[in-house]
Amino acid sequence: MANEKVDAVIVGAGASGSLFASVLAKAGKKVVLLESGPDWQSSDLISSDMWGRRIKPAGVPFLFEGKNPYGYAYQSGWGVGGAALHYFANFPRYLPNDFKVKSEHNRGLDWPINYSDLASYYDKVAQEIGVSGDAKAEEIWRPKGEPYPMPPMKTFRNGQVWLKGLESVGIRMVPQPVGMNSTEFKGRPACIYDGWCHVGCPIGALANPLVTYLADARKGGAEVRALSTVTRLLTNEAGDKVTGVEYYDSKKEKQVQEASVVILAAWSAQNPRLMFNSTTDKHPKGLANSSGLLGKYMMAHFASGTWALFDDDVEPHMGTVGGQYMSYDRYDKTSKKGAFGSTYILAGAAFKTSDLGGFANARLDLFGQQLADFMRRAKRGITRLTAFGEEMPNIENRIELADGKDEFGMPLAKIVHSYDQDAVALWNANFEEGLTIAKAIGAKEVWSARGNQPTIHLFGGTIMGTDAGNSITNSYGQTHEIANLWIAGPGLFPTEGASNPTYTIFAVSQRGAEQLVEKWGAVAG
Amino acid sequence: MSEIERRALMKGAALSALAFSVGGSEVLLSPRQAHSQNVPFRTLTPPQVETLEAVGEALVPGAKTAGIANFVDQQLSIPPEQALLEARILNIRPPYANFYRAALGAIDRTSRAKNNDRGFAQLSMSERSDFIDLMRQNKIEGWQGPPGPFVYLVLRSDAVDVVYGTVDGYAALGIPYMPHITPTKRW
Repeated sequence: MANEKVDAVIVGAGASGSLFASVLAKAGKKVVLLESGPDWQSSDLISSDMWGRRIKPAGVPFLFEGKNPYGYAYQSGWGVGGAALHYFANFPRYLPNDFKVKSEHNRGLDWPINYSDLASYYDKVAQEIGVSGDAKAEEIWRPKGEPYPMPPMKTFRNGQVWLKGLESVGIRMVPQPVGMNSTEFKGRPACIYDGWCHVGCPIGALANPLVTYLADARKGGAEVRALSTVTRLLTNEAGDKVTGVEYYDSKKEKQVQEASVVILAAWSAQNPRLMFNSTTDKHPKGLANSSGLLGKYMMAHFASGTWALFDDDVEPHMGTVGGQYMSYDRYDKTSKKGAFGSTYILAGAAFKTSDLGGFANARLDLFGQQLADFMRRAKRGITRLTAFGEEMPNIENRIELADGKDEFGMPLAKIVHSYDQDAVALWNANFEEGLTIAKAIGAKEVWSARGNQPTIHLFGGTIMGTDAGNSITNSYGQTHEIANLWIAGPGLFPTEGASNPTYTIFAVSQRGAEQLVEKWGAVAG
Repeated sequence: MSEIERRALMKGAALSALAFSVGGSEVLLSPRQAHSQNVPFRTLTPPQVETLEAVGEALVPGAKTAGIANFVDQQLSIPPEQALLEARILNIRPPYANFYRAALGAIDRTSRAKNNDRGFAQLSMSERSDFIDLMRQNKIEGWQGPPGPFVYLVLRSDAVDVVYGTVDGYAALGIPYMPHITPTKRW
């Protein structure tokens, strides 16, 4: 069934798709968002780790290979809001050294833009959706910008206890900037520090898309079609324009939505899968893939966690799930001898009992009575320091179509991912420094949260660059080969930095969406 | 999503209890209540229930009476997109029953092969503990099934969920639950 042609169809109603929808709708464009999951409301966000799993996918259309298979389902989204419905809302920026790794170190890749190209968009996003923090304090590491609209969040003992140990190794900590309200902001209430951020914040103190960009988009007339799974992008005969998308609606009936512009915002893995599944004689290797780089350079973050257990009460149940303090003092790419890549440090977070991030998993080796004894001790005395590490882009880390099909007949894809020696070395070095810090804070016990090297966040697959020979899109997310096909989200990132990416996703998307509006006449098909 | 579809998807969720079949009717109960009322199982076989309860209790004391088997069984009987199991976020491909059947089968088969045909539930508490310790380290020779450490992770998570992840579990530990939206059945 064909639907009336619209100005823009956006595939995915998560962080970047919602932002694009907001900007386009405000510019008067007729926008349709196609979202494969449900149309969640804030009232669906029950404060429970078990119930919170409903906003994550159940059975993803990917296979996982490599030495460090990607942990997909925990951190992806299902339904409106996407992963940003359950994100931790840490809002650090990328730093200037993240954008020119190739030029400065002859490693990895360069972005086609600099920090200065994004700086004003970081400031704009902060004013738009609300960020709490101390911008002045951060300027020991980054260029000056505008103050955040809200003061820093409250801190609790589970964060404060780390400061002495961090200071002992020369690491300066500042308040964690977060996409949360330390005070009432634009009619949304202040945070009450109950630590349920990761299952969705129903009061809107956390800036998830339901209460920010998606709400704005809907006010501007954007239509959200939930339970609508896009399977293919459609192109004209010449292959130089997309004409719309093919999708299956909530009744699993095939539909076509024509549009002047198509924006893929279905996350780093699904965007290339869709483009591979849209081959034509003009694009035999996948849409906009003359470079052969579609699906390449997939990257993940890894964390080196250090636990500390105190006899006295450090209020582990209080705070937010992201972090209370942060530091870029190990952010130089060569800050760790024998390794390469940035490290981003977080201290203090609220912990619940269960789920992957719960404190029952702080000692995954314990079971039976030993686990019961540990839970009684940890309930008041446990806290964690986390160091996120950066992986360099590796062309062998990739997404490609696989054998087997999903319920709509679309080929599955596989994500192949392995860490290189630099990433392993950085992970290990961060454990070592974490223990050194922990031993200086007077805890009863300290230990490293070692296990399989984790894969956190997901980047690459549709990287931006200077031309069609070295990338899929330009710095705005517009594909080099098809002017009215745009991509949004962390799939555009040529390198991943080490800090939480969503603030940068918003900044890059804001820049791209404004460019699309400005150049609409030349772009739209 | 239409309101009707939405209500269908959210059935049970809004009240935060699980829907169990009792005497031909559907009632909302916590897994602990379902266990204490001997609610019939829908998907797991009696031997699978026996093994799951024994493994769960060995992993987290209290898991049996907290209804681990009722929880898993009820979850396996509903569409995967409604499931609350940790399996959902560990990249296990639905139907999740396939994983549980394979995991519980591997535990019981291996136990019988190594303990004179005694299933896991027939082992002493000490023997159960030794078995699990080897399973979590992938050190059981002749193991045939999903990797032992992964089975350990999934079943331990289920046991932690029913014992420590509920409103009652927080109360028993003495931790403030502090919900925005309360699971109204203390579940």
